Amino acid sequence: MAGPIEQFEVKPLVELGTVNVPVLGEQLIAITNSHVAMTLAFAAVVGFLTLATSKNSVVPGRMQAAGETMFGMVDGLTSSIIGHEGKKYFPFAFTMFMLVLSMNLLGMFLTFTATSQLAVTMTLGLISFLTVVVVGFVKNGLGFFKLFWPVGAPLLLRPVVGLIEFVSFLLRPATLALRLFGNMLGGHVALKIFAQFVVQLGAVAIATGGIAYAFFGVAALSLGMTVAMTALEFLVAFLQAFVFTVLTCIYLNDVVNLGEGH
Amino acid sequence: MAAEPTLEAPIGDVAAETHASTEHASGGLPQFEMQHWAGQIGYLLILFAITYVLIAKVFAPRMRRVIDERAETIDGAIATARSVQAEAEAQAEAARAEVDKARADARATAAAAKARVTEEFNARLAADEAVVGARIAEAEAKIAATRDAAMGNVTTIATDATSAMVERLTGKAPTAAELSATIKGAA
Repeated sequence: MAGPIEQFEVKPLVELGTVNVPVLGEQLIAITNSHVAMTLAFAAVVGFLTLATSKNSVVPGRMQAAGETMFGMVDGLTSSIIGHEGKKYFPFAFTMFMLVLSMNLLGMFLTFTATSQLAVTMTLGLISFLTVVVVGFVKNGLGFFKLFWPVGAPLLLRPVVGLIEFVSFLLRPATLALRLFGNMLGGHVALKIFAQFVVQLGAVAIATGGIAYAFFGVAALSLGMTVAMTALEFLVAFLQAFVFTVLTCIYLNDVVNLGEGH
Repeated sequence: MAAEPTLEAPIGDVAAETHASTEHASGGLPQFEMQHWAGQIGYLLILFAITYVLIAKVFAPRMRRVIDERAETIDGAIATARSVQAEAEAQAEAARAEVDKARADARATAAAAKARVTEEFNARLAADEAVVGARIAEAEAKIAATRDAAMGNVTTIATDATSAMVERLTGKAPTAAELSATIKGAA
């Protein structure tokens, strides 16, 4: 039986060759199951938004109401966190939210979860981080570095606190990436293990017989656990997409309203 | 790193290499096989960019438009409802004023009618009283005249009776002067 981490293997379906990339080493360029999962997630987002906005009417239909719920939620986030300039950053936050949510949720239906790949979450984290850096420099110029200068702290401590602020700023993409990665990885591993218990303990009970029939009870417990965890994982899939978006908005707010809220 | 030995494998057979890499990776997480990173990163960047452009240029404006439109519709409907309500209130106020005015008018009319009737009644009463008074006075005058006439007759009857009684007793009729003196004294 496949191990609980086999589901995370990236399997090439169509291979296109190899390239040497400086940091990452030799890279296999191929259409893999990860690419398929990402494409499906992308198609789901575009399809959903197309359906939700195709028959735009003042009295919304089902799809439109669903789309507007998503829209309203992220719009509420950007405008409440970033303020009146939030509208400008809404498309970015919405893209982030929809893609992460779509990849997370598809992981509940497919055998492969794109957001359980560190490469994917790291990319998303870096997109978020670099957007913040670029927006920060475009809006504030070199004043961007005021972000790390803690005005509230005593003068003597400011360089120390500023250094800590700077390091924590640099760690943001890693924390963003690892939070999403860890949640997806952990949830799917736990699901797989509990699901395997059901089959393996059931098989042992049938093969051995006698006292081993007691394993059926444990298998039933595992089944209940799998069902409960599936529900929890749906919640986590949504929640992590939401958290990722909220944090992106908070980081954007830091540089958009630099020097106002500090 | 688990993936490193695979890099030394002959590049010709990529499939075999991948297979080997998965076997090597059984100790660690498959996510740390770096050979698939660039492909995923590049592809995700492309997808993200396309999604961003689609959302920024197509979907977000569409949704914002319909949401703004809805807000406008609702605001308009509320404003209309407010004005209609205000109008209805004004009309109700006017109707109330009209009713009040009508009531006051009716009251005034009733009072006027009452006054007129009372006056008429009083006038008629006075006229009737005058007529009745006149008739009473006339009747009283008539009674007085009748009485006077009767009293005149009484003297004549008394004179005649006295004359007759005196004639029967004395055999001769008294003179008129004696009679009238006697009657007058008796009267």
